[in-house]
Formats: sequence, C-alpha cells, structure tokens
Amino acid sequence: MSSAESANHNSMTAAAPTKTQQEQWVVDNQVFQIFDLFANLPRNAKSALVELQRDNHLEYLTKGLKRLDPSFCVLDANRPWLCYWILHSIALLGDYVEHEVENNVVDFLSRCQDPNGGYGGGPGQLPHLATTYAAVNALITVGGDRSLSSINRWSVMFEVSHFFCNSAYWSHFEPNDMDFKIFCREKVYMFLKRMKQPSGAFRMHDAGEIDVRACYTAISVASVLNILDDELIQNVGDYILSCQTYEGGISGEPGAEAHGGYTFCGFATMILINEVNRLDLAGLLDWVAFRQGREGGFQGRTNKLVDSCYSFWQGGAFALLQRLHAILDEQLANFGPQTGVASDISGGEGSSDGTQVDDKTCHSKLGGTNASCPVNLNSIGYNFVKQPGEMEALYHRWSLQQYILLCAQDMKGGLKDKPGKHRDFYHTCYSLSGLSLSQHSWSQDEDTPPLPNAVMGPYANLLERTHPLFNVVLDQYYEAHEFFDTP
Amino acid sequence: MHGQPRKPPKPEDEAASAAKAEKLRNLQSQFLCFHHNNIYSKEALEVNAKLLEINPEYYTAWNYRKLAVEHRLTQSESDPDSDSDSVNSILNVELKVVESALRQNFKSYGAWHHRKWVLSKGQSSLDHELRLLDRFQKADSRNFHAWNYRRFVASLLNISEVDELQYTTDMINKNFSNYSAWHNRSVLLSNLLKKKAQGFFPKEKVLNEEYELVHQALFTDPDDQSGWFYHLWLLEQTVKADAPLLVSSWPAHDSNLILLGGSCLEDSALSPFNTFHSELGTIPLVVFFNKAVEGVNSSTISVESVLNTKGELTWKPLSTNNSQTAQVWVTYLNYPDIKLHSSEFYPVEVSVGHTQGIISSSGFHYSHPSRFAFKVFVRPFEKDLAGHGVEMVSWREDNFLLYESHSQDSNPILSLDQLNIKDDHEESSSEWRAETIANEIALFRELLSEINCKIGKLTLARLLIAHDTMLSPIANKMVHSEEVIELYSDLMKLDSPHSQYYKDERSSVLLQQITSNRETLLRYCFRHGDRTSSILGNSICLRLNNLSLSRMGSIEKLLWVQMLDLSHNELRSIEGLEAMQLLSCLNLSNNKLSSFTALGPLRLLKSLKVLDISCNEIGSHSIDTTRYLCSSPLSHAEEIDWSPDETVTGDVNLTNYWEAFLIFKDLNLTQLDIVGNAIADEKFKSFLAKIVPTLKWLDGQELQLH
Repeated sequence: MSSAESANHNSMTAAAPTKTQQEQWVVDNQVFQIFDLFANLPRNAKSALVELQRDNHLEYLTKGLKRLDPSFCVLDANRPWLCYWILHSIALLGDYVEHEVENNVVDFLSRCQDPNGGYGGGPGQLPHLATTYAAVNALITVGGDRSLSSINRWSVMFEVSHFFCNSAYWSHFEPNDMDFKIFCREKVYMFLKRMKQPSGAFRMHDAGEIDVRACYTAISVASVLNILDDELIQNVGDYILSCQTYEGGISGEPGAEAHGGYTFCGFATMILINEVNRLDLAGLLDWVAFRQGREGGFQGRTNKLVDSCYSFWQGGAFALLQRLHAILDEQLANFGPQTGVASDISGGEGSSDGTQVDDKTCHSKLGGTNASCPVNLNSIGYNFVKQPGEMEALYHRWSLQQYILLCAQDMKGGLKDKPGKHRDFYHTCYSLSGLSLSQHSWSQDEDTPPLPNAVMGPYANLLERTHPLFNVVLDQYYEAHEFFDTP
Repeated sequence: MHGQPRKPPKPEDEAASAAKAEKLRNLQSQFLCFHHNNIYSKEALEVNAKLLEINPEYYTAWNYRKLAVEHRLTQSESDPDSDSDSVNSILNVELKVVESALRQNFKSYGAWHHRKWVLSKGQSSLDHELRLLDRFQKADSRNFHAWNYRRFVASLLNISEVDELQYTTDMINKNFSNYSAWHNRSVLLSNLLKKKAQGFFPKEKVLNEEYELVHQALFTDPDDQSGWFYHLWLLEQTVKADAPLLVSSWPAHDSNLILLGGSCLEDSALSPFNTFHSELGTIPLVVFFNKAVEGVNSSTISVESVLNTKGELTWKPLSTNNSQTAQVWVTYLNYPDIKLHSSEFYPVEVSVGHTQGIISSSGFHYSHPSRFAFKVFVRPFEKDLAGHGVEMVSWREDNFLLYESHSQDSNPILSLDQLNIKDDHEESSSEWRAETIANEIALFRELLSEINCKIGKLTLARLLIAHDTMLSPIANKMVHSEEVIELYSDLMKLDSPHSQYYKDERSSVLLQQITSNRETLLRYCFRHGDRTSSILGNSICLRLNNLSLSRMGSIEKLLWVQMLDLSHNELRSIEGLEAMQLLSCLNLSNNKLSSFTALGPLRLLKSLKVLDISCNEIGSHSIDTTRYLCSSPLSHAEEIDWSPDETVTGDVNLTNYWEAFLIFKDLNLTQLDIVGNAIADEKFKSFLAKIVPTLKWLDGQELQLH
C-alpha cells in the first residue's frame, strides 16, 4: 500500500492547478461568462446575440481580398490560402465577389501556377501541395469556364508526381502538348511507381516534408480534378494507417500524437482512395467524440484548449462518419440485378453514359483489390455527397453552433479562435465551414433545406452546404465535377 | 494548414508596419531574382537569410538554400585549397538560419524540415540539438513539430529509448498536464515492454512505478485530463492478456448432452440446460475466445469422438463481417443416422491449441493448450411425431412460469478458466494484477470521497469491473456490480452528452451480474406454459426483458440458450447474438432497433424459427445509424451473392427492401412478428411471405400455404 499512501499524501497538500488547468480556467471563465450573460438575457436580446453578422463578415472578407494589412506579410508564402479562406467564406455566406475581383483572383492564381504544374505560395515560388489544394479549391469556388480552365490538370497531376522527379529532367516537355498527356499517363506513372516513397506517402514539395496533410491535399486535388488513379493511391492507405494512434485519432506522422487536423485529412483521404474500412472507425469515432469540450467547441488534441477551427476539422470527421452508410447503400444496391433497378438508387448519375454505369456496378469491394473489377476512384467524392445525410448527431450540434456564434464571432465581422483572440481569415473560414456542416447534418437530401430547429438563431443564419470531403460549396463543386468529368 | 497569423496584429505604428512590408517585398524580389538565375553568392544567401528570418513559411527560400548548399559543397570539394572547415561552416550557417527562423515561428514546417535535411548529411555536430529542443519545448511543451524533431534527433544520436523515457519523466515532473509527454511515454514504454528490454521485464515492476508516477499527477490536480488518459492506458496494460484464451464452449466441459431427434416428449428427468433437439442431424460445437482469433481449423483444434465420422471438421468464424477473424467459431458434429445404443453416452473430447496456429488479430499466439470433454446421449428418433405439434409460440406473460431447478440440473455457468494450464509466472502475474487493481480501487474511492469528478468515477467503475471480472471464477459473483451500476447512473446524470455510452456500460455490467452464478441466473429462467410446440420442447426461456438494456453482453455464459426474451429493453444493436447458435425463439419486441442492418447477427443463427421484432423503429428513420457504430460499418459489402434469378418479381421492388432481403433470405423462420414498425405495411408483408417460404405465421396470422 505504499503507493496509495504516498499518493494520498500528495492529495493532502494544496492542489496546485497545472499550467494547462490555469489556461483552461481562463478560457472557461471567458466562455461561461458569455453563456451566463446570454442565459439571463430577455428573449429578443438573445436572438440578436446568436445572429450571424452576415453583412459585417462579408465586409471584413471582401476588404481582405482587396487590400491586406501589412501584418499579413508572414502569410506571403500562403497567398492561395488567403484566396481560398476568403472566397470560400464568402461562398458559404451565399454571396460572391465582384466580377473584377474574380478575374483578379484567377489572374493572380495563374501567376502562382508553375510552368510544370502545381501552384506555389505566390508568383515565382515553388509549387507546393497545400497551396495547390488551396488554389484549386479557390478556383472551383470562383467557378466559370475561365476559372476552371485555368487549372492545368495534367500539369497538376504532374505536380503531384513531380516531387519525385528532378525538375530539369522534365523541362523539355510542354505541358499542353498532347504527347505530354500521353506521356503523363504512361511514363510518369511508371516513374512514380519507381520513385514513390516506400511508405506510400507524399512530400509537400520538392525535397519537402512528408506527412498526412500532404496525402490529403494530393488526393483531394487529384480526386476533384478527376485524375485520381491506382498508381497514385498505392500504399497511401498503409501510410495513413501507420499514423492512426491507439487513441483512435490520426497523427501527422508515425509516432506522433493524434491531432484533429490530421485526423480529418487522413480520414478524408481514406474515403477518397476507397480504403476507409481499413481504419479503426470505432476508435476514431471515440477519439473525436471526446474532443468536444464543455465549451461546446472542439479541441485539437487531448487536453488542449478549445479552438473554433476544429469545428470543421473535428466536426468534419462526424460529417464523414455519418455518410459512410451511404457508400454501403450504394454498393449493396449495385450488387443487385443488372436491370434498371440499380440506377434507381444510385441517383442516375451518368446513367445515359454506358461507361459510367459499368464503373458504378463495380463500385463495390471497398478496399478490395479486384483487378477484374476496378473501382471508379474519381466518382467517390460525387457519390459520397449525393447520398442523404439524416442522422442523429454524434456530437452536440447545438453546443457547437452556440460556441461558434457566441464565442467565436466578432460582431464587427470575422470569426476567431476563442474569446480574447483576434479574428482572422483562417478561423473565419473553418468556423463557418464547421457551422455549415452542423446546420446541414440533419437535412435529408440536398434539395430539402434543414428544419429550423437544426439552425441555431434566426433561420437566416443558415449557410450554404459544403462538400465534407473537399470543403468547397456544393453548387460550385457540382459545376467543377461536370467540367472535369472528362478524363 | 495552420498557416494562420500567429500573432494578433498589435496596434503598431502603421508606418512601421508598412515599411516592414515594403522591406519584405524588396527582399522577396531580390531573392527570386537570385533564385531564377541560379546565383548562390554570399550576398544572395544573406538576402535569403533575412527573408527567412522575417517569414520562415517561405518554403521556396528553404529549397533555394538546399540548392545553394549543394552548390557550395561541390565547389569546396572541387577546390582542394579551401580550408578544411568549409563544409562545416557552410552547414553551420544553415543551422543558424533555421534557429533564427524558428525564433520567429517555432511552428514553421519548412524550418524544421530544413534542419532535418542539414543534419541528415551527417556532417554536423548534434550536441547542440538537444539544448535547442529543450528551449523550444519549454516555450511550448505541446509543440508537435518539436516532438517529431526530438524523435528524429534521438534516432540520429542513437539515444536509447530508456533515456528518452527519462526525458518524458522530467517533462512530466515539470508540468504533468503535458499530454504530449505522457503520450510519448506510452509509445516508448510499449516498445520497451514488447522488447522486454533490460530493466523492463517483468512488466509488473515497471507498471507499478508508472502507477506511482500517474498518482502523483492525479492527486495533485484531479481536474487535469492528461494523467487520467495515461491512467486509462496503464489500466489496459495491466488487465489485457496478450495471448488469446478459450473462455467458454458449447457443449460445456463435463456436461452430459441429451440429443433429441425429431420431436420430443416432455421428460422432466432431463436437465433442460443440456437437452438439445435437432432436426438437422448435427450438433453445433461452439468455441468462444476472449478475443478475435484466426487460424481455427481441424489441425489447431482436434475433436475425438465416434460422432465425428466424416473425418475432418470445418470450422466457421461467427462474424457478421465475413472476415476470417472472429471471437467465436463453430463446427458441426454429425451424429449417425443409426440407433445408437440408448443407454450409452458417447464421449467427445476437444483439444484446443495443442498445435500452433491460433493467432489473435494483434498477432499473439494461443499459448494455453486446453482440453474439454462432454458426453452425448442420443435419444432415438420418434419419427411418428414428426410434422406434428408445430404450434404458434406465444410470448404472453402468463405463459411463463419461473423455472424450479432440479438437483440433477447441470450448472449452465461454467468457466473454462480452471482448465487452462498456468505456469508460475502467470500465477504471480495474476496475483499482481489483483493486488494492483485493489490498490487503485482503494485510492480512487478515497479521492472520490473528497471531490466530485466525472473521469474519476468512470475510472473507478472500470477498475471495479476489472476487479470483479478477474475474480469472478473464484468469487462466483460480481461483488461490486451494485456500486458500478450506481456510478454509471450517476454519470448519466452528470455527463448527459455521453449518457448513451454509460448506458451501454451499465447494460454490460448488469448482464455480467446476472450471469455471474447459477443462483442469479435461475431468477431469469422460465418454463414456457405451452409445451405442445415442438419448437419449445423441453427447453428453458431466458427472460432478460424490462431491464433497460441498451446492448447485449456476457454471451459467453449464454451459449446454451434456445429461447430468449429481450423484449421491452432499449436495444439499438444485437451485436454478439450471432454466437448463440442454439437459439430457436427470440423476442426482440419493444426495443429501439432502427434498421434491418441492426439485425445482421441473425443471419448466422441457422436454428432460428421464431422471431418477434414488433414495436421497434424499423423504417422510421430514413437513415440507418447502426452501421458506423459497428466496428466495421462497410463490412457486409463483400458477402452478397445475389443472382438476378432470385429477384422477386411482381409488384414488389426488391431494391426498396434489400436490407430485409439480406437478413431473411437465409433464415428458415416459421413465425415472425413485425407489426408496430413503420416499414411493416401490407406490401412489405407480402414481400416477406414471398422471400421466407417456410413462414407459417406473420403477425399472428396463419399464412395460406402456397
């Protein structure tokens, strides 16, 4: 019993709060002061407080796109990110920017595009997977032929494979050359296969770091542009699996602790490469469920403080979980007789197109490697979101919305990490994205808007729906999907 | 993706800020000019360094530095006159640039990566790295970049895991709320224990020390989460048995099984727990392990019996996801279609794991060869009664009479624990486990007497369960179940967002309590008043109704059950029921089953004849939430072999009901009640009548034979 006694002795000494505890108390104080204040307000004052300050947010965002404060210079290698965060936030609010600004964005991002494919953090900078993801999502959000055709898909593809290549080796290829396309298909893939990391993962940029983020941005871009294939996904699943910790979440690299951002990235990647059933989903659900704190928002890691951006990263994992059944639905239905029956359920995408139907009936064997029956990888993202999504919330939706609206919203426009912090575009983007997922998590299908009781505050708080795998607004996603539908 | 501005914009002088931006713009264009012209001069590198000092996120500049370093290293190689320090000095400049960049932003991916790249060249001294790390880990002890870098440096320096463990101790002593340190500790310790490294074997000694460490954290500040999460991991290390074990079987060890062919007559001299009636000419033989295993086959399990006349037995995993790994396996013994001498018992002996091959899913071998034996007595067929006496089974309350046990009844609760051969180490380690857990229980009871703490209550509940589970074969009961149930009820109120989880836990404790010994179990055993139905025969109905169960459990103790009443509970899933291979009558009415997928385990119950799923929620929710709560929600997908021929024609659209089709097509139900579910309209019922041709009664109505 010696251990019991010594520990007991400790409990007799005055309980000194830990560092984390003290920080937590500060946040608790701020958050619960707001909640208390809110609880004691009269009804009409209450509804004013939980109102989404659309006009102010739009003003803040639009300004940011036109002229940034000099303090943003540290983000100079992340300019496509700024475009995406701002444009996506505006799109979630159901608005859009002036035509001229759109044109400027497309022009600017074109200048970030590397001659050999992929997007850098600014003109002249090296192509980077994260900024490629941001640029592609930003251009999809802008939409329109000019914007979408500015993306050089096969060069992007090339970019994805580029990290394994010596750039000088490729310099004599013209990206738009038809030969190049063919070469991309036939030779780059051979080369990729040979050069690919044994772990299956991706590098962020030439000679850059390898992590789960890189896997997600690469796979997400390839999938949304309809250029994902078996070579590209090879062993990616193994790498992601090696990052799932015993806690259930996913870490940035093997051996590290589970983290909300990486958990979303790893999880979404596994869905996009059709290997999600290899993950310990029960463990993942358990981990992510316990990341929602008493403030209502999510923390990013065990025993860290609440942060509104995890409304999307952790909340997004729930949105993904809730749609997994849909994939199953589709698969089982497609096992059915090859009569017209199957297409009843599958929503009829491409049913007029014979090749598509073939792909769909084969869209089975999750994670299986059935050579005779290849899966159409590029349709996963589309089918995923086409499924209805009504379910019981596996996290406390109401608390999350309350945290975002009351604690993360700057009434003068923009959203912030937590009370006491300053607004910024990153937190604006991911708080709104998380809010949108939460509001729409009850809607039966995309044509039925959520019931008023799914939306905290006035119904006008309702945001546009976002694609839970790519995080672009759905209407814009559909446009891009159609645009890139040709291989 | 965490490229958000790290520092909130201070109310700085606008002009100074603008000047800074202007300076950066200049640096940037100068840098790009150098970069695109492949200029790697001293001046160019200085411009680059200034740029990175202001903006460490500028990864293109880091790549430029790599090119420059390569360029200058080649130069210094080709120039023999250069002084010998130059390689070192080139690389040292890089390390300095990284350091000043990290001072600006210690979460810069590019900066950390550049440092790794430089060190990977193997030319630099590493002495400085740990001190540098100390500084950054002091600034933010949760910085995962620093922790990743630490693992990198440790492996470069060949720092032993033991030393790294000591480092986590130091970090924890400085600030025990640092979960990153605890997490790294658990990763390192797992490795050391697995390797049985020097000083880390036996694990009991190591874990004792860990308990002391974590107690200090928990008792100093019980409100901090980090220690609790580590304690959870520790408890798992304490109670988990790595090697798979056989926990129960049907028929049970030492039992005398009476096998009735055809229909039967009541014979009160027979023990109903061991009477089995089969029309199939086979007896199921079920083995139940403590964890999922693979490799169960006729070479890893040998069965000696005259009944086993057909040579090699085929073992089948009882898993709903069609995997080759399962906790429960079944095979079928044939009994010959001859009149065995009626007064003789035929012995069957089963040896498990005498040859290697049974492996748990985490890779541990079955290492406790065990043996169990039972006797089978075959009652002659009474063919003249065949086809007679098939009546509808009624679940009405007044049909049930509490079972009065007979002295000759064998004990349905039998543990196989005593059969396992244990070595001395095992013995002392299980003593240690019991002692450790008893210690922990005493400690946390005391803590909870002082403060009200959710996670403390949860931990205490888990400890008490671990304690009882470990001692139940000896104590023959769950000593603490009342206390545990109270803790969970408390937690449901204290922590309502997680109440469903606590409810599930409470259900499994309740079931453990009920099945912990013969006396408690008999309180739930009933005789069905209507003995005319051949389906019921001589068997006993286990009635676990009205218990607020939200999930099933303790199935290893219930393999003998042929008639089970689970009505009026709160079941959302029946996971685990697939192991009850003898089940012929099952009442699931008035639960919260919301889809046919939730009934998946029924597909493996080949003896099931009577099923009541009335008054559930099937069809009320357009979406089925069961699937992602199962361990592998997509697992059914592989199993379907659905040929177009099987399609039911007519006005019924099969695709609307495919989930139901998958459940019912392989069952030979004679009686089904489905009324009180949203899906059960006339159309659905006519569909059921078609796909289940054996069905005689549907919702109490006799079907017209077709």
